[in-house]
Amino acid sequence: MNTIVSEWKQYICRACGVIYDEEAGDPDSGLAPGTRFADIPDNWECPLCGVQKSDFAPYEPMGAASSEESVAITTRETGVVIVGGGTAGWAVAEALRALDADVPITLVTACEGDRYRKPELSVALSQNKTAQSMIAEAASAAATRLKVRLLRNTFAVGLSPSLYQLRTTSGPVRYTHLVLAQGACPVMPHALPKDLCWRINDLVMWSGVQGALASGPKRIAVIGAGLIGCELAEDFARAGHSVTVLDVNAAPLTGLLPEKASARLLSSWTTAGVRYKARSRVTSITRNHNGERVIQTTNGETLHADLVLSATGLTTEPQLARAAGLRFDNGIVVDSHTLQTSAPDIYALGDCISLDGAPCRFIEPIAGQAEAIAHAVLKRPHPGYQHQPPVLRVKTRSLPILMRGAPSRDLQWEVVDEDEQQLSMAQYRDGAVTASLKVGQRSLELAT
Amino acid sequence: MESAMLADNARVERWTDDAVMANVERISDGPLKAAAVRIDEGYYPLDIMTALGQAGALGVHLDRHGARVGLSVDAMQRASRACGATGFLMWSHDVCGLYMEQSGNPALSGARLDAHAEGRTFGGTALSNPMKAFSGIEPMMLRATRVPGGYRINGTLPWVSHIATGQYCGAIAGVERDDGSVSHEVMFMLDCDERVELRPCPVFSGMEGTSTWGVRLKDYFVGEAQIIADPARPFIARIRPAFILLQVGMALGVSQGAIDSSLEVEPMLGHVNRFLSDRPNELRAELDDAAQQAQRLARTPYDGSKDYLLEVLDVRARGSELALRAAQASLLHQGARGYLMSAAPQRRIRESHFVAIVTPALKHLRFEMARLCKEEFPA
Repeated sequence: MNTIVSEWKQYICRACGVIYDEEAGDPDSGLAPGTRFADIPDNWECPLCGVQKSDFAPYEPMGAASSEESVAITTRETGVVIVGGGTAGWAVAEALRALDADVPITLVTACEGDRYRKPELSVALSQNKTAQSMIAEAASAAATRLKVRLLRNTFAVGLSPSLYQLRTTSGPVRYTHLVLAQGACPVMPHALPKDLCWRINDLVMWSGVQGALASGPKRIAVIGAGLIGCELAEDFARAGHSVTVLDVNAAPLTGLLPEKASARLLSSWTTAGVRYKARSRVTSITRNHNGERVIQTTNGETLHADLVLSATGLTTEPQLARAAGLRFDNGIVVDSHTLQTSAPDIYALGDCISLDGAPCRFIEPIAGQAEAIAHAVLKRPHPGYQHQPPVLRVKTRSLPILMRGAPSRDLQWEVVDEDEQQLSMAQYRDGAVTASLKVGQRSLELAT
Repeated sequence: MESAMLADNARVERWTDDAVMANVERISDGPLKAAAVRIDEGYYPLDIMTALGQAGALGVHLDRHGARVGLSVDAMQRASRACGATGFLMWSHDVCGLYMEQSGNPALSGARLDAHAEGRTFGGTALSNPMKAFSGIEPMMLRATRVPGGYRINGTLPWVSHIATGQYCGAIAGVERDDGSVSHEVMFMLDCDERVELRPCPVFSGMEGTSTWGVRLKDYFVGEAQIIADPARPFIARIRPAFILLQVGMALGVSQGAIDSSLEVEPMLGHVNRFLSDRPNELRAELDDAAQQAQRLARTPYDGSKDYLLEVLDVRARGSELALRAAQASLLHQGARGYLMSAAPQRRIRESHFVAIVTPALKHLRFEMARLCKEEFPA
């Protein structure tokens, strides 16, 4: 900058803030560029607001806020935001409130957010339950009790970790800590159209199935003989429906149970009235003019059913995590002790996470995960979450199944004890039991 | 005349990313900034659109020019920073070019598209009503009847922008069977010739220079050369993400202009403005984050997945929310100066309202996102 230019001065109107720059002048009011402020006639008026020359003061620019740097506001006390109104979401709200009476909590849920015991869904139909009777606590009551701001029927659609901003279908929400408890959703293979196949993974879906079955005994096809498929198939049969289970494997619960154990389950189904179509892969499901669902399999078989239930597994919706740049590997990747995701101040728990690359979709671990997150968020000392393989109780009432420990596909199951009513098996590594399995129960134990 | 219709290859070859942005910047900071108030009041800036077209700002999103959707968004953002109405005209023009190219109709995608892409001819889009109709928000306004060699169209659209006699726009009509029921929809180029009645619209509160007219069609014949897509729905499903994503340039530009206005008064008013929320640096962080998201999405404009569309709707909604907050903040930051009729902040308040209500409006975006997120079950 040369010396001449640096001598130009600026004056600011104290009324409206307009700046008179000697270098630029004010040609509109007859002041040529280069007109010194001192040389301006006294009757000159502010070109913007009309006040007089005497209302102007010398102006020295202060340091302006840098126009280059970006500052995300993260310090505002916006509180904890929980995404998900299922068991995991509410567990975090409970755990936080138990430790701190005042921390602001917002719970964003895609559904109504009413609280119920999810494992009941797979045995409720034969017990003549209704959606209403299964609600243990209405969402609004839980929200009042726990002082939680509730955003119901609201979907989380976007997340910017650097801005501490969650975007929802009810608008953006700021957080100081975010807890993702969004759950998992049923996988739907291409051959299974969503408008023809029911799934059960929450109370609303269960209620839909219950409504569809309310008018009397129906022919039901259950696609997939995993945990959910097996439990529901038995429950439907017990409720008086005619049930056929289709699976790509030779026996139900393949992959979880050794052959010897699944054979027992299969034979128990004969008495329970559940038919099993082994090695059946569904190629298409259509609706015929009678309103029946027509199921075609790769074996060339055709089945007719009044209702099809798909139970082909669960998966975590990756959209929110991926768009936010969170690490994702079969679920939202979290630290196995802190349950923090790959982004600071964002935690996750329950069905949506993966620990060491694998999801663990059971109810039991959730309380411990919620505890750990609540302590971390509130900066209270805590040893961290310690993952234990949960005890697995398959609610197949014709043949109860109980599994403990960490079964491995690489290890053989060995029979420990076997009679007509019960089969006990175990897996060993270096002589120590790593997993145990009990299939069926002796009549003496039935009393308990 | 023939030679005038041919693409100016030499000029088009000069549309490198840097050259396009440098020219758009020059136009935006020069003639466009100077004309912003006039455009807001009713001046239709075809001279500026011509310059933007020559610079490549209206053509680079097309496949024939490298499908540089991100660059298109950037250019629109740069211009909208100076004038939101012009940003909207650019978007209208851009999507019209998209329809022409994606139609695969040689009569639309040849020399006619070259002229359009270079800003030698002008046309917009009349899809506000059909887009809402496809989402079940309102009924389809135009009706088509099949006749030998094409369709006959009847009906009225309340307001269509960036049209005039001699210009054109993409439009959609529901095709009626003999019994009056609708079999499907047809998308066509509506050439605003002497057969089309353009009716003045009521005065809007701003952005009056967008040449917005009511369109009345009475037995308007559409022939083969004008067909964009028949049926229209699969075509719309394919281009919808790009249609919505391109608008983000307008939203972010209005936001950025508003942040500029807040920063402008920082030297004299910073000591009191620090008591306001939505400070410029805070908004800038959000702007940068949204712009990055838009640029990432712009790399795959024809990704047909649900997740992709959801993210496009998200960034578009962000654009509206940010524009509203930034414009509001700029007026509060500038105080009385920003309230003057000639001041940018009060104009941007109205521009930001437009950003938030133009199709897809903020409420429609949220409605659509909720719809996409909902699982489908048997009836």
